[in-house]
Amino acid sequence: MNRRRIMVALLGVGLIGVAVLLFPSIHKPGEAPAQQVEQSQAIPQPRPVETVNTTPAPPAALPLIPPVITVAKAAPASPQASISVNGVNDIDPAKAFGSKSAPLIMEIYSDFQCPACKQLFTTTTQKVMDNYVNTGKVYLIHRDFPLPMHAYSRVAASYSRAAAHIGKCDEVEQALFRNQEKWEMTGDVVGTVAAALSPAEMKKVQALVEGKTLEPLIEKDKQIGMTVPVNQTPYTVLHTKSGQTFPVVGFVSYDVLKSFLDQLVAQK
Amino acid sequence: MMQSSPFNFRRVFLWICRIVLAGVFLYAGSAKLLGWGLHLHPSISSTKLSLFYFALQVDSYQLLPPWAVQFVAHTLPLAEVAIGLLLLLGWLLPVWTTFVTLLIAGFFASVVRAYALGLQINCGCFAKPEPLTGLTILRDGLLLLLAVLMTVFAFQESRKPHPWSATSPEHS
Repeated sequence: MNRRRIMVALLGVGLIGVAVLLFPSIHKPGEAPAQQVEQSQAIPQPRPVETVNTTPAPPAALPLIPPVITVAKAAPASPQASISVNGVNDIDPAKAFGSKSAPLIMEIYSDFQCPACKQLFTTTTQKVMDNYVNTGKVYLIHRDFPLPMHAYSRVAASYSRAAAHIGKCDEVEQALFRNQEKWEMTGDVVGTVAAALSPAEMKKVQALVEGKTLEPLIEKDKQIGMTVPVNQTPYTVLHTKSGQTFPVVGFVSYDVLKSFLDQLVAQK
Repeated sequence: MMQSSPFNFRRVFLWICRIVLAGVFLYAGSAKLLGWGLHLHPSISSTKLSLFYFALQVDSYQLLPPWAVQFVAHTLPLAEVAIGLLLLLGWLLPVWTTFVTLLIAGFFASVVRAYALGLQINCGCFAKPEPLTGLTILRDGLLLLLAVLMTVFAFQESRKPHPWSATSPEHS
């Protein structure tokens, strides 16, 4: 009996040791990125509407020149021109944000009428954009995954896609998610989008929607989602440069996601 | 004679429950610690990554604040391994079976709540991404039933002298 007790005691001490070793507060993995977060919040960055450029890293002999990552909002591209980044294919550049050389790729499949997608967009994604996408750590891809049970989500996806192709993705996505409860009651997607754009911009968007030239891109997103397989929204897939993928289902709070992103970014 | 036999039904059932639940807990804890579902190479850094990934699954239940999510995610897998080993060892069995029952009851309540709220999330039960469905509730319910029976039998057995012990009435 004593032997058993000694064994259990040793086991307990061992497990506590491992717990102490692994517990995040000991290592504080998010410390360094947190400083960068504060910096990025202190200096609001403009969001240029042109292609992504990353300056080459300076040689070791010139340590005083910091590497500058110019992060850009997605460039308006010609309809149906898809790109591939680090093995992630069929990316519509108008719905992708950040540096293509970022260590992480984050794909978010969402439906404009889904409440959890709204929650994710308004709380978590916005902070990820500010602190990870605009600092060159994450390349964010918005994938449309309108669910058939939502009457207006496909229309909303069409308008959002069209707005993205005239460089107004963020404005329209914000308007659609923030006013979700209103337009899902009335079905007034057009009015919601129009309120976020100038009349000239709305005219362009309307022309793109009516031309249906962007519909194949939405269909492509859905097809890719079904192969993942995405069976609910929001659905996030994180890709590392080494080819690892981490699916995250449902809403996730920013603080918890931040810890995980910091771990992935710190990975060699 | 039957009552003192080491192979009576209660004792055999208790052993089966202990082995099954110890297996489940050891598998669940190890899978989370070693990132089995994520195809990671075993190392300290992959274990840390796996635990942070598990934190995302704990968070998706929307039950706890972020600090508590990290605490649960970083202690639960170790606790599961420890519980699995303790069930196999059989030391202070009534205490640990009660603890196991409470833990499984907690899991069951969380899963039922998430299902009732319509949260379409991953269960997070065994590290591997696994959607939370009615089958998850059924499985957790069966495990809870097993744990309750194991606890009851463990208490009943603990009141009796061990059939192989020198102090049993047959040997004295």
